[in-house]
Amino acid sequence: MKPAAFEYIQAASVEEAIQALADHPQAKILAGGQSLVPLMNFRLNRPGMLVDVNNIDDLATIAVKDAGLAIGSLVRHQRLVEDALIGDRLPILAQAASHIGHWAIRNRGTIGGSLAHADPAAELVALMIALNGTLVVRSHRGVRRLTADEFFLGYFTTALEPTEIIVQCEIPAPTGRMGFSEVVRRPGDFALAGAIVAQSGAAGWVTWFGLGSRPERFSVSHWGQDDGERHAMLGELATRMMLAEDEEYKRDIAVNAAMRAYRQIKEGK
Amino acid sequence: MDQAMRPQMMGARVSRVEDPRLLSGQARYLDDVDVPGMLEVAFVRSPHAAAEIVAMRLDKARQHPGVFAVMTYDDCPVMLWDRAEYDIGQPCLAHGEVTYVGQAVVAIIAENRYVAEDAAELVEIEYRPRTPVLDMREAILERPRRVHAETSNVFFHEEYATEGFSEAFDRAPHRLSATFRTNRQTAVSLEARGTAAMIDAASGRLTVYASTQSPHRMREDISNLLDIPEQLVRVIVPEVGGGFGMKANCYPEDIVVAKAALAYRKPVKWVSDRTESLLSDVHGRDDIHDVEVAFADDGKIIAIRDHLMADGGAYPAYPFSGAVGETSLAARVLTGPYDIAHLATVIDCTYSNKVPLGAYRGVWGPIASFIQEGLVERVARYLSLDPAQVRRRNMIRPDQFPYRNAAGMPYDEGSYLASLEDALKLIDYDGFRRRQQELRTQGRYLGLGISAFVEPTAMASSEAGSVGYESCTIRIEPSGRVTAALGLGPTGQGHETTMAQILADQLGVRFEDIVVLHGDTDSAPYGGGTGGSRSGPIGGGAALVAGRQMRQRLIKYAAHLLEAGEDDIELGHGEAWVAGVPDRSISIRTIAQTAYTDVKKIPPGLPIGLELTERYLPKRPVSFSNGTHIAEVEVDIQTGIVRVTRYVVVNDCGRLINPTIVEGQIHGGVAQGIGATLFEALHYDRDGQLTTTSLMDYLLPESTDVPRMVIKHIETPSSGEGGIKGMGEGSLIASPAAVANAISDALAPFGAMVDTLPVTPAMIRAMVS
Amino acid sequence: MPTEEARTAIELNVNGITHRLDVSPRWSLADVLRHQLGLTGTHVGCEQGVCGACTVWLDGLPVRSCLMFGVQAQGHQVTTVEGITPSTGLSPLQTAFQEHHALQCGFCTPGMLLTAQALLDRNPKAEEGEIRAALSGNLCRCTGYQFIVDAVLAARDAGRDA
Repeated sequence: MKPAAFEYIQAASVEEAIQALADHPQAKILAGGQSLVPLMNFRLNRPGMLVDVNNIDDLATIAVKDAGLAIGSLVRHQRLVEDALIGDRLPILAQAASHIGHWAIRNRGTIGGSLAHADPAAELVALMIALNGTLVVRSHRGVRRLTADEFFLGYFTTALEPTEIIVQCEIPAPTGRMGFSEVVRRPGDFALAGAIVAQSGAAGWVTWFGLGSRPERFSVSHWGQDDGERHAMLGELATRMMLAEDEEYKRDIAVNAAMRAYRQIKEGK
Repeated sequence: MDQAMRPQMMGARVSRVEDPRLLSGQARYLDDVDVPGMLEVAFVRSPHAAAEIVAMRLDKARQHPGVFAVMTYDDCPVMLWDRAEYDIGQPCLAHGEVTYVGQAVVAIIAENRYVAEDAAELVEIEYRPRTPVLDMREAILERPRRVHAETSNVFFHEEYATEGFSEAFDRAPHRLSATFRTNRQTAVSLEARGTAAMIDAASGRLTVYASTQSPHRMREDISNLLDIPEQLVRVIVPEVGGGFGMKANCYPEDIVVAKAALAYRKPVKWVSDRTESLLSDVHGRDDIHDVEVAFADDGKIIAIRDHLMADGGAYPAYPFSGAVGETSLAARVLTGPYDIAHLATVIDCTYSNKVPLGAYRGVWGPIASFIQEGLVERVARYLSLDPAQVRRRNMIRPDQFPYRNAAGMPYDEGSYLASLEDALKLIDYDGFRRRQQELRTQGRYLGLGISAFVEPTAMASSEAGSVGYESCTIRIEPSGRVTAALGLGPTGQGHETTMAQILADQLGVRFEDIVVLHGDTDSAPYGGGTGGSRSGPIGGGAALVAGRQMRQRLIKYAAHLLEAGEDDIELGHGEAWVAGVPDRSISIRTIAQTAYTDVKKIPPGLPIGLELTERYLPKRPVSFSNGTHIAEVEVDIQTGIVRVTRYVVVNDCGRLINPTIVEGQIHGGVAQGIGATLFEALHYDRDGQLTTTSLMDYLLPESTDVPRMVIKHIETPSSGEGGIKGMGEGSLIASPAAVANAISDALAPFGAMVDTLPVTPAMIRAMVS
Repeated sequence: MPTEEARTAIELNVNGITHRLDVSPRWSLADVLRHQLGLTGTHVGCEQGVCGACTVWLDGLPVRSCLMFGVQAQGHQVTTVEGITPSTGLSPLQTAFQEHHALQCGFCTPGMLLTAQALLDRNPKAEEGEIRAALSGNLCRCTGYQFIVDAVLAARDAGRDA
């Protein structure tokens, strides 16, 4: 399990990185490497060149933007968990990030890398879709801003062009209160199914992840009067997800995860 | 009273002498063996479950910069099982056909592993795929075809029945049937396999570094298979990062690496990566049992009938087929700790287009315990009896010894009923039942699973080799310090510590003054290696026998030099003295100096020097440990997730050498049992592709999955040396049944009963829906 | 025939010592440490970041050295098990591991030590649940974890008393 040979350059700036991507069609961005390097070790991914962006400090910023946060793509997961500004403004992000892999993985993995990888069970992908965040991507041709819906196309597939790099994720502050729950066989695993829910008055939404080809968000017009109503309502919503045969059993688990996420809101956690 | 009569080290919680090197990063494992000019190997492995090899094109690989050689079967025409115990043998590199995904086809030998893997991609092999044989029941019927055209898919068949079985079975008031199944699992030692080989230019000898449990068997295999005189082969086992039975085999890669070193006269090393490990380490388990049980109104079990099937994979693993072990041993111990009069078994081991089945800790045991404890649970539920009570009713009683079970296995005396009662107390069985009832009303599903087990250990034949004895050499150096060597192959069990504990008591020397060697065929006496829970009882027995012999010699010296009677000599703390007269003493150091350098003073009739080798062959062919595990689980019926919340073990492995080390073995085995019950499964798809080729797919228990365990020891000595019984496997034999029964208990309101391991969230959801 | 793979000259600071060496960019940090610097205390168990045997510190934080290329470690402080071992004897955590039988085959042990030490450095009051969570990314196949957790708890308490 050794990667194929590649050329390696360290980019000192975003400009250098996008120039390298423009100049070398075989080039790929290396950020935290926690998803890319395993694939390279399996030789399932074999970029001819790696453009290492780990030294670009400009990409590792966290700032208030409008009512939400603008998070640089190189911000690592453990910082999402621990950062005071995130804890204050967007605690759901810290909560979601705390479920990613294990400590050593979170110390290295980045938000941009996770989003570019687009695993349908990834917590951060789910959160971007849930909060309808915006991805700011750059190439030598300029800047594009893509909503999460536009960016995530499906199973491990995004709208990111080979010459583009994610520079920032803009996450609007949620309206209403939120809950997060995921079902894992072992802590740190990718979720069998998970749910992020929001409640604002009687209404809100639910975003499911870990099943289907990408996380999906559904509007909830009324959360219901009791658990029974709520369960029936979520069960109906869940039938709209397209699932492979061997994932069918997850539909009920997803509904139960959403019930738990909603309970978090009610219990004020 | 002399020192050996009041042992100080045996039974003590001694810290391990192995630890400082392991903790400081100074230990040397196989991949740490590095010599200048060493070449590394990558294997091209079969992507097909079954295919004819039509053509191979190797030129591009051969010409790749950094490649030293490319080997095929023609360069290493060696078959494992050349000695024809079975109809077919496995070629070390595929010969004309491939029979499982992951089978080694071509070996690339290059300047490093990176380059070797580059070249492996350049090998072009044209295959003509065949229909793979993947289903055990179909394979028995020779469908869809024979795996090996020249021989039946059923490579092992055995039938057995107690006299009067049919009558007893048919007359019984109640009968139930069930099918039990364990998926394929595997050891996943954290250090994968590996081999390095090089020729000593001075002597022309071949030195093979091997990550193995069986150093001497490895030397024999290399000598026989490559036709090298045995004295010209040296096997050195460096630190081994876990084995669990899986490293008891001699593998095709071992032979290819040795052959490459010989053929090219270069040091050559191969270290398995994790994907190769999952694709080529022997797999374990993979059993299907169609079982029927007959029983009386009071829960007394009268008879068990079992059709035992195991999928042996494409070849019988060399030199130990796991399928034969899984089934033939299970058939002999299927009644567990229960007195069940009648047993009928039919065994079928089949070939398939899967990885060969070998040993994984507790071979036969997890499935046999799962069945025996699962049957008790079913009988109890059928009759609406308390499962603990049904166990009491069936348990072998102390007054039945000497006892042979229905298959004729001679049991040791143990604590069969006592361990059950103690375990029930430790878990507060009655309190649990009340709590269980309360929580069910809140929609929480707790369950408690009992697993009373027997563990046959120290068998004359195990996966480690065919020898039933073990050897111990003791050399007291002229300084009075002790060098001992045994033929064991430890993989983390701490034999350097436990064997020194035994020897310190016998020789009357300080524990710190003993070093225990193993794993180098140049220094260790011929032995059977480690496996089948034999190292404690047989290895420890050898240390005791050899230690006692050396002790007698020391006493003769002391008596002679102190001018006293031998009966009056006592030994301890590096001294010998006359009982009751401590002033009349002599140090072991002085005795040793006399033995080597002052030969005129040697007592008449004794040889020069203080060196001897003794062998210990237990009188009984097997030694039985026993105990009871109880697991408490909580099943989240909404998600199918199971958490093991409490766990108690009452264990009886006879006399303990080091209780802390025994507890470590139990903890580890229970963790593996939790893995076996909740997580671990090797999955083949319809084309025979193994889909679990990484640790993202083959899930091992983590620190958050294993509960704190409470352990109680009972010591019922064996009749063997030191009263020691083996115990390396019992915890993995008992724990899957305990956790599975706990899940069944939790889900009793749904009428669910676990019959397949592992139990996945999808299965739980199906059981409660 | 030797390879013509390009190598990059780097300076690598490991355990406080700066090494100058030529590395192939595709060599993992684990392989560079083990096979170029001879620091074989770092073990390789899966090469996909799951098992944790290769855990080292990068600027004091545990990371997987199988998921970093050696060339990337330039400009950082790398610490391996050799670096947390005193010149004589064992560290308090290592001593606790020995006293509590927290290791059997020893293969996972360096990664366990580095993870546990980093946890105790950051959270000297870590409770059992936090310890288990921190160690959950380090697989051990031998011990069932209980004695490892006990050892970390004991080292924590010893540190508190000191």
